[in-house]
Amino acid sequence: MTATLGYTQLRNVGTASRKLTSGLPPVTVILSFAVVLLVILWSLVPSLFTSFSPVTGDTASKLAAPSAAHWFGTDYLGRDQYARVVYGTASSVTSALVAVLIGLVVGSIIGLASGFRGGWLDSVLGRFVDVLLAIPGFLLAVVIVSSLGFQTINAAIATGVSAVAVFARLMRAEVMRVRSATYVEASYLQGGNRLHALLGHILPNAYRSVLVLAVLQFGTSILVIASLAFLGYGDPPPASDWGLLVASGKTYVTAPWLVYAPALVIVGTVLSVNRISRWLRKAK
Amino acid sequence: MTSDYKRFALTRAGQAIVVVLLAYVLTFLVISVLPGDAITNTLRDPQHGLSEEDIQRIVAFYGLDQPVIVQLLLSLGRFLTGELGFSLQSNLPVSQIVGDALPSTLTLATSALLIAIVFAVVIAYGAQYLPGRWAAIVRSIPSFFLSVPNFVIGLVLIELFAFRLHSFTTTDPNSAAATLFAAITLAIPVSAPLAEVLIAGLDHESRQEYALVARSRGLTEAKLFAKHLVKPSALPSVAMVALIVGELLGGSVITETIFGRDGIGTVVQKAVTGEDQPVLQAVVSLSAVVFVAVNLVADLASPLLDPRVKLRESKLREKVGP
Repeated sequence: MTATLGYTQLRNVGTASRKLTSGLPPVTVILSFAVVLLVILWSLVPSLFTSFSPVTGDTASKLAAPSAAHWFGTDYLGRDQYARVVYGTASSVTSALVAVLIGLVVGSIIGLASGFRGGWLDSVLGRFVDVLLAIPGFLLAVVIVSSLGFQTINAAIATGVSAVAVFARLMRAEVMRVRSATYVEASYLQGGNRLHALLGHILPNAYRSVLVLAVLQFGTSILVIASLAFLGYGDPPPASDWGLLVASGKTYVTAPWLVYAPALVIVGTVLSVNRISRWLRKAK
Repeated sequence: MTSDYKRFALTRAGQAIVVVLLAYVLTFLVISVLPGDAITNTLRDPQHGLSEEDIQRIVAFYGLDQPVIVQLLLSLGRFLTGELGFSLQSNLPVSQIVGDALPSTLTLATSALLIAIVFAVVIAYGAQYLPGRWAAIVRSIPSFFLSVPNFVIGLVLIELFAFRLHSFTTTDPNSAAATLFAAITLAIPVSAPLAEVLIAGLDHESRQEYALVARSRGLTEAKLFAKHLVKPSALPSVAMVALIVGELLGGSVITETIFGRDGIGTVVQKAVTGEDQPVLQAVVSLSAVVFVAVNLVADLASPLLDPRVKLRESKLREKVGP
């Protein structure tokens, strides 16, 4: 009992001192930003991080275990797995960004129109969103990507479409919340028109929660796109999307690092993105 | 059973039917209008060895020589009478293919749901009653679970338990042990949102005065948890069935592939690689039916379970969200 009390007191001291240094976010958030920064750099300038080629390898040293030279080991063609991961980042990250953008833009337009215009438009768009939600997200993405063709960009579009409903719903709720606020009524009374209310009041207020969702959705999109790539619905090899690396690594039971290295990169990235999203939600 | 409730139930049921029909139309449009002439590509594929007569018969059956809208009405009409068409790959009736695959997926999904509930309750209990530092660690488990892709969990479990510890073999995917590990794979991402809702509920309930009274009367924390706190904390998770059903159906595609099980997920995968349009259409629209039906039941049940829930006609719209 005393131990618990002592701990609670310590924790209170901790929060008090944290309040004093409130300029800095928690350590885990700083770490998360570092991970995301590294991932962004990997995708922009991969050649800075590795001197190995992701496409050609030295077959003499195939399936080598991780070492000082090959951090993540080598694959069945002797290619450096770390180089493959680093060069695969651009495609994995960009496609997740494309997915979030599609969901964000299309979803926000639907949500704005629905909440702002109301009436029959709201009913029609509402049913549309219900329908999008009724088909399990991953199945919807699989069907869309199979119709469009197996490419990473199509996987990104499919993931984006399956995220439209969530953004539409949030945006509509935000618009409804702000629309009836007193200051918006006041702006109408002062002669402001609907466009003014939309740009001046509704969007700036909704922006924060939509941003939190967008960051969260970025993490989810990385997972969905990796899953699609894992099933072989993305670009074929020698592309090295993270999900594809896991899929091709799983054939070599004696070289588990081929699976674990890209898997850890996926988990680390998504965990960081989710942590940032949670921090943003609290900070608001 | 008031007349208010009856009207609410009827409206919700009507909406559910509309949503299912529209989901069918949307799936049909996605599959057949987007670029790529799946059906004729598949039919002309010499690998299938279809004679010109067979092809003519199939083209006539699906109305492929007619405008899309006619094809859609034809297909929708058959769906309404329970006729799902034939697989382009195997020529078997789609209903038979789905029927054969269903038991395996149902076993997997049900066990996964049970395991997810156990995980969620254990996590929530730990978050509530473990001492400080441990509780903080337990509280971060759900967000960790949500960050690990399904296929990684499956591969790690296979590597550890099949290859190293020999708890099961991948050559017999339908054995009880293999099913258990496949179910755990599927359960982990499902348990995360459940645990989050339970933790939030427990945090709220244990601050209520009745909990304080119960404690002051000498009830142990474990008894308080089991007898008083669990039920009201679990009520909000009824509203999460929607999310869970979707996760179970979508996740089974990956889980079944990794563990080599034959089920709905494998059927989807084969249909995608073989551009088997009727099978894909049937599986997707049937999963929409399942999703909407489960939602409808949850919606109709929640005012009965908790009288405080107000009857709102478009509850579905507010429910799923961040």
